Amino acid sequence: MGGFFSVIWQNLPQLLYGAKLTLFFSVVVIIVATILGLIFALFKISHNPVFKKTGEVYVHIFRGLPLLVEIFYIYFALPMILPLHKWFDPYFTPIAGILALSLNEGAYITEIIRAGILSIGKGQTEAAYSIGMTKYQTMRYIILPQAFKRMIPPLVNQFIQTIKDTSLLSVISISELTRQGQIIISTTFASLQIWTAVAVIYLAMIFTLTGISGYLERRFKIDKR
Amino acid sequence: MINAKNVKKSFGKNLVLKGVSLSVKPKEVVVIMGASGSGKSTFLRCLNGLEKVYSGEIYINNVEITHNKTNLNLVRREVGMVFQHFNLFAHLSVLDNITIGPVKVLGKSKEEAENIAMNLLKKVGLEEKANNYPDELSGGQQQRVAIARALAMNPIVMLFDEPTSALDPEMVGEVLSVMRNLAKEGMTMIVVTHEMGFAREVGDRVVFMDDGQIVEEGSPQEIFTYPKQERTKAFISKIL
Repeated sequence: MGGFFSVIWQNLPQLLYGAKLTLFFSVVVIIVATILGLIFALFKISHNPVFKKTGEVYVHIFRGLPLLVEIFYIYFALPMILPLHKWFDPYFTPIAGILALSLNEGAYITEIIRAGILSIGKGQTEAAYSIGMTKYQTMRYIILPQAFKRMIPPLVNQFIQTIKDTSLLSVISISELTRQGQIIISTTFASLQIWTAVAVIYLAMIFTLTGISGYLERRFKIDKR
Repeated sequence: MINAKNVKKSFGKNLVLKGVSLSVKPKEVVVIMGASGSGKSTFLRCLNGLEKVYSGEIYINNVEITHNKTNLNLVRREVGMVFQHFNLFAHLSVLDNITIGPVKVLGKSKEEAENIAMNLLKKVGLEEKANNYPDELSGGQQQRVAIARALAMNPIVMLFDEPTSALDPEMVGEVLSVMRNLAKEGMTMIVVTHEMGFAREVGDRVVFMDDGQIVEEGSPQEIFTYPKQERTKAFISKIL
């Protein structure tokens, strides 16, 4: 039995290094995707037809394609027409990974944020206008704070999805957790042990996130106002 | 002070205001009555630009608010509005509901705004609710806070859109009494309501609307006791 765990033990530093990268990519992608989501959600609810259409096209494309295809497209296909790999050398690989993931998750987050904004009754907007608030002030001080509370559960869902989706970055040789697992197994052949360890590390990260969201929900008293 | 000329408004093909003209003098209390669908709420909402008019002109203090280049945000600071469903900001305490306008829109300091807010809360009898949230208040209390919120902007006119229609009967009185005091202090008011008693007692003028037009207007006495038009008579007999 000691042998079962010893292979995990021996390779733990490498696994934890992968976990660190997974965490790094998750955090960066969640931040970028949330910003994209907010921008395109505001585009989609805008009355300006150009903005509106832009938001719609964005969501259609990046929600409509498999994430793996998007990663391949940005990493392999795009450099054929734009020398991105030269511009961003030597960081093209992580940038392409972050870009592909962020654009994809951002499309989902756009819809989450849009739904949250639309769920706030029209009366709130009218009341804000009636005391002279501008559209920006109304959004900033009245609509978004209320919408945000309603967005927390679906956003957390999407963030969990994001953590798991970073495993796809292994296909462009980003040495995140899944990739590290593959590398270790290619020399040790200890599939059961290593994949078990990888699974446990993923679950630990996701449980942490769930814990944070539980705290946020209590803090903002979601079920109340 | 308020001058609306031949205001027309349509929703799609449906013409809901067919040329409404009304002028209101300072300190006047005008009560607009009429069946639902007569266009009275729509007309009121045109007066602060919540609805865009299709044609016609509306002047508030000699500023034409129906003009394309008029900054509606500046106009709305001076036109208070109270809604049928209160529309208090659900995520803000009673105090913050009242101070957010003066602080964010007028640029007042938090202390100054809170002083104003506490005075207004005293006026509407809700000082002790300052730190409660809207969903902890009764309908009548919420509507009184909504009135205080509008007053905090120091408006030159107050618009009331059926302020008591969503209230339980026992709460109507407390809201009307706040409005009555406001009228006594000389606030210019335009009130869409079905409250005959209020119209009779507080109204300087009653305007009766039907089918997107003003059918008849006059003192409460004239309208309620001696209505001239058939449509007014039919309406009055129904609500009496």
